Amino acid sequence: MKTLKLSLATALLALSALASAEEAVLKVSAIPDEAPTELQRKFAPLGQYLEKELGMKVQFVPVTDYAAVVTALNSDKIDLAWLGGFTFVQASLHGKVVPLVQREEDSKFTSKFIVNAAVGAKSLKDLKGKSFAFGSASSTSGHLMPRYFLQKEGIKPETFFKNVAYSGAHDATVAWVASGKVDAGALNASVWDKLVESGKVDGSKVKLLATTPPFYDYNWTVRGNLEKKLQERISAAFLKLDPKKPDQKAILDLQRASRFIPTKADNYKGIESAAETAGLLK
Amino acid sequence: MLSPHPRDPARWPRLFTLLLGLLLLAPSFPLTQFNPATLANPDSWHTMAGFVAGFFPPSLQSSFLHDVARETITTLASATAGIALAILLGAPLAFATTRALERQALAAERASASMEGVKSLLRGLMVILRGIPEIVWALLFVRAAGLGSLPAVLAIGLAYGGMLGKVYAEILESQPRELAAALHLQGASRWQCLLYGLWPQALPELLSYSVYRWECAIRASAVMGFVGAGGVGQLLDTSLKMLNGGEVSTLLLVFLLLVNLTEGLSLLSRHALERPRGGVYLLGSGIVAVVASVQWLLPGWRDSGFDLSAIPRFIHDFFLPDGSMLAELAHGTLETLAMSALGTVLAFVAAAMLAMPAAGRFGSLLKLASRLLLNLLRGVPDLLWASIAVLAVGLGPAAGVLALALHTAGVLGRLFAETLENADPAAEQALRLAGAGRVQAFSYGPLPAIFSQWVAYTLYRWENNIRIATVLGIVGAGGLGQQLYLALSLFQQHKAASLIIAMLLLSWLVEQLSRAWRQHMA
Repeated sequence: MKTLKLSLATALLALSALASAEEAVLKVSAIPDEAPTELQRKFAPLGQYLEKELGMKVQFVPVTDYAAVVTALNSDKIDLAWLGGFTFVQASLHGKVVPLVQREEDSKFTSKFIVNAAVGAKSLKDLKGKSFAFGSASSTSGHLMPRYFLQKEGIKPETFFKNVAYSGAHDATVAWVASGKVDAGALNASVWDKLVESGKVDGSKVKLLATTPPFYDYNWTVRGNLEKKLQERISAAFLKLDPKKPDQKAILDLQRASRFIPTKADNYKGIESAAETAGLLK
Repeated sequence: MLSPHPRDPARWPRLFTLLLGLLLLAPSFPLTQFNPATLANPDSWHTMAGFVAGFFPPSLQSSFLHDVARETITTLASATAGIALAILLGAPLAFATTRALERQALAAERASASMEGVKSLLRGLMVILRGIPEIVWALLFVRAAGLGSLPAVLAIGLAYGGMLGKVYAEILESQPRELAAALHLQGASRWQCLLYGLWPQALPELLSYSVYRWECAIRASAVMGFVGAGGVGQLLDTSLKMLNGGEVSTLLLVFLLLVNLTEGLSLLSRHALERPRGGVYLLGSGIVAVVASVQWLLPGWRDSGFDLSAIPRFIHDFFLPDGSMLAELAHGTLETLAMSALGTVLAFVAAAMLAMPAAGRFGSLLKLASRLLLNLLRGVPDLLWASIAVLAVGLGPAAGVLALALHTAGVLGRLFAETLENADPAAEQALRLAGAGRVQAFSYGPLPAIFSQWVAYTLYRWENNIRIATVLGIVGAGGLGQQLYLALSLFQQHKAASLIIAMLLLSWLVEQLSRAWRQHMA
């Protein structure tokens, strides 16, 4: 009898240990469009806010590779991810994902073309025979859309430029152009503005050359089989962020958002067809 | 009476070979866009100087150093666990395929056709395992199943498993056969022949080769981070991308320290092998190291979300390879070949020039300086040189040429210096005594004898460099690797499959050619 009690107690203990290990954790990740340290800094207060609002632990999973975020979301290894327009299209082609919210700014996003001052280029046409850097190959505002708009101008990067390279991230593109490692490059307008505002761009070395027309970009997406209730609560938490409250304004500022608005998959049809035109989808 | 030869009697054939070589090499320049003038261009020097100036002082921020220490241990652990996996894979493959245990080798019997078929299949498997470079394996695992150190371990395990399988089998084949044959005649099984007839005599060589591979695995594991597979390479990749010179120099120092440390350890263990019971101690410490490594890596593997079940789907997506990109493939392959050829030739020239002082021909001060330089060139892996070279000559295959030239110059320089030191001084001394100048005495004394050795080493390195040139593109230095990296980033698996097949074919072709060449020479 004693042994039975003992084994029952052990079994219970084991069960409770299992239950606590199963304690609900929301795993969140983001495409690494900026340096890893910058991503962590940007996410920290948002993560705390989500923990409070959702009443569950929120864990940020740092990832150093765009495609890996897509793979992780499609194989249910993460629950919520900050995706670019193109990575969202890739994820929805490889599995079921649901876009929840986006920043108000994301509905009219742009990319910037920048050039090393020593090149002396006045327009995109002047870049013929120069070297050029996109961000990550999987980036919307760092690769897909700049490529698409170049193509519309009759410029095929692989033959027009001397060399086409992929820096991997938007801030890296600026560093490459500033150092002369490449002559020119394209990046996300939001990161460009941030770097200019914080004085991290040397105006005597890097010049702004052109800006693209607007397009839909980034959103927060969940895996398709995440509990419907939880999906709604995540959306609500984002939509509730109020720029008038100072602590919430700080979160929004770090995300470079005036506020969050709902989004839907149809918003990214334009990105999908641009990707097809640019030959980046198969 | 001897008729005097006022000129080199072999000058025409020599001149012809030289011209033919240059003619074959000429297309490499446009193909790789390698322009020696770029190196003299003040602009690229300016870029380079700006970056190198940022190296000082090395970053000593405590949070960064903490990361470096952690990732260094991960690098060591991944290499060690990877080698353990490679041995587990390679040893049975070697046992199954070695010709040393075949009946027709031990007795004059014919093996059955079905057994031969299985062996050929296994040999084919090993060709594929080692034909895909380890960093490409890592990239594939990262894309298929997730980031972290597990892809690095699996990559080293598979690529080196294929290599160990082949080399172990060859080591067994090179042992004297009499004992095994005698055992076989008395009815011993394959296992018994191995255990009592071959194993005892082959063990030191097997262990020594495994230790050498471990040394290589550490260098490989250190750059796995370039494709997201953890270790110091991951930190280096970020620091290089952000052009953070201070962090890069700290990491480079750690890198060189790591390489020297492993070389020291490797030397130590080879000495241990010569002692009685040395093999036992070595085996014991190896097992302890493997267990400790897995212990260290395990928590990371649990959290990484590495998804083995995603691999079948990933493989499925690879079929069928895209056949419509033959032109692209041909261009990538040519670019890869041109990079390797030009890089190796430049390395030969640089190595020959550095070997003279390194062999002590110009005093001990120059000897020390040139040895240090050679160690630096050799210690930094090609992939790392490539990521630095893109700063000097811009992105593209030219950077690959420079990277191969720098690293290979270090490797060849040391070998060349050794041959110079080992050369018989008699002929040169005799010529000097007969009144020949230093250059003349060298050219007609030791040079003809050592030159063929130098060429043999260089050809061997070229073979190696073709394989390396296929992956340099991962850091932006042209060739097939660049196309593969891009295709996998964009989920263009069919394209990736074609590129991997091209890499495999190239690697297989080079192996066959080199084997034929060596048989021809022997």
